[in-house]
Amino acid sequence: MSGFSAPFVFGHFQVPADNPLTREAVELGRRLFYDPRLSANGAVSCSTCHIQRLAFTDGRATGVGVSGKPLAFNSMSLANLMWGPQHFFWNGRAATLEAQALIPIQHADEMAQDLGRLVAQLDADPAYRDLFEAAYGEISPATIARALASFERTLISSNSRYDQFLRGAIKLDAQEELGRKLFMAHPDVKVSLRGANCIDCHSQFLTGGFSARYDGFSNNGLDDEEHLQPGLQAVTGNPAHRGLFKVPSLRNVALTAPYMHDGRFKTLEAVLDHYDSGINNSLTLSSVIVEADNRGQAAAGRISLHLTADEKAAIIAFLHTLTDQDFVSAERFSDPFQRN
Amino acid sequence: MLLGVAALLGVTGLWWHRAAQPVELTLYFHPFVGPEPLVFNEARYPNPGGEGRFKVRDFQFFLSNIRLIGADATYAEPDSYHLVRFDGAEPVFVIVLQGVPRRDYERIEFGIGVDAAANKSLAQRGDLDPNGRMAWAWEVGYKFVLFEGALLRGNVSEPLLYHVGFDESYTPLSTGLHGDPLDSRPAQLDFRVDILRLFQGSTTIDMTALSTVKFDRADAALLAGNFPGMIAPMESDVAGHAAAPR
Repeated sequence: MSGFSAPFVFGHFQVPADNPLTREAVELGRRLFYDPRLSANGAVSCSTCHIQRLAFTDGRATGVGVSGKPLAFNSMSLANLMWGPQHFFWNGRAATLEAQALIPIQHADEMAQDLGRLVAQLDADPAYRDLFEAAYGEISPATIARALASFERTLISSNSRYDQFLRGAIKLDAQEELGRKLFMAHPDVKVSLRGANCIDCHSQFLTGGFSARYDGFSNNGLDDEEHLQPGLQAVTGNPAHRGLFKVPSLRNVALTAPYMHDGRFKTLEAVLDHYDSGINNSLTLSSVIVEADNRGQAAAGRISLHLTADEKAAIIAFLHTLTDQDFVSAERFSDPFQRN
Repeated sequence: MLLGVAALLGVTGLWWHRAAQPVELTLYFHPFVGPEPLVFNEARYPNPGGEGRFKVRDFQFFLSNIRLIGADATYAEPDSYHLVRFDGAEPVFVIVLQGVPRRDYERIEFGIGVDAAANKSLAQRGDLDPNGRMAWAWEVGYKFVLFEGALLRGNVSEPLLYHVGFDESYTPLSTGLHGDPLDSRPAQLDFRVDILRLFQGSTTIDMTALSTVKFDRADAALLAGNFPGMIAPMESDVAGHAAAPR
């Protein structure tokens, strides 16, 4: 596919050998993404919970699909999906975007669609017959999944002010720069380094979880031992993974409220307060959270970063530099049915 | 007579063929804490310099620039940056050196950490990843060795966090080879990685006095001074290859 690029600092990426990224596949995937025929009642599409102007989130604590029942998890932003953990959903239960795509379509509370029925509906539409023919030669659950995954791979956010800063095109203002430095530092009192240890889980350029093995999953102290959910342990069976959830990308984070896997925090201020002084301890709580303290009192009991109000405000100012207006308004990611 | 020449040619041909065929050499790294095989998440190991017992939650390190050296030949693995870790399904870390020319090698060399050139680069070579867990911010470079765990004294748990980096901590090691490892089938070398030796070597660390090492260069140098003892060759029959994947 031509005209496809990503910043060098994002690093390597892989497209599955059996699903090469083609213009035809992406066009088809975009149409499917916005098509409510993917749901049993014809009212819910992928874009119901993944709205472009909200960086493909839905503004709700947890998503709501055809059943009207609130879902278990917050709708995750879809950006830069080829980088970071290649384990999808908050608990990492899908190993590829292709595997992920068919799960919400069939989930009773999300889209509740029968795949055989969906294939028949698409096959009855001459426009889809042509699109599938051009992209894959046939309509099947597998090619539906491949097309959706192809469109999702093109959802690259790389023109935020932070990206422009990384390219050397702009400077951040003093408050944003203070926030950036705090984001990128684990505190060390011994060398007078103040830090908010964001980078301990959110990588410096992608701002998402780490890609190696399960390094991109963390227990960030939302719940105490008694109330910890299974998280990644539900997938791996490893007790050391109890309460670990996927570390999300912070790209466009100012647009993706509410926050956390269950959407419990309504604002970035609440998120910063959590990391600063709201950590609940448990056996699998991230080691870097337990130890991080700008006053060097980590051993003394209560876990706290001890940031100042100005520092928290600076970090939030930096997080706003991750907003990419091109990404949330680009026509190539928008609803093709509205255009036609 | 004719038959004899043919046989001789055949043998010579075979010999040339064998000499010309590069081989695969597999390196196995077996994790220990002192005499015991590593068990994660159990406070069973005595603090080498003081009170309490420690547990290991996470341990990983970069092993770089693997080379085989002989009198008239050197093999250097390309993009040789490996993030050694033991949290996989098998309690061993495996590196396969591909296409090793059959020569007489006398020693194997590698470094603990990341050499200065790679440490200041954003290039993704081998397991180096500027968006990975071992990356500090790009102004600082990589953590070379990451140890995260806790020290238990009575029922008080204190976090332990040792992130050891900085260019000067890069530690090249050289180990003599006894016999020709390329002659064994399968061709393999075994190494013991002893996490305890990170805290017990030229300096013995009391974890109650030094529970974290991050950006203080003098503290980092204390642990880096212990790097040479962390990896040692191990007899393959001791290594117990029944459990190791091939």
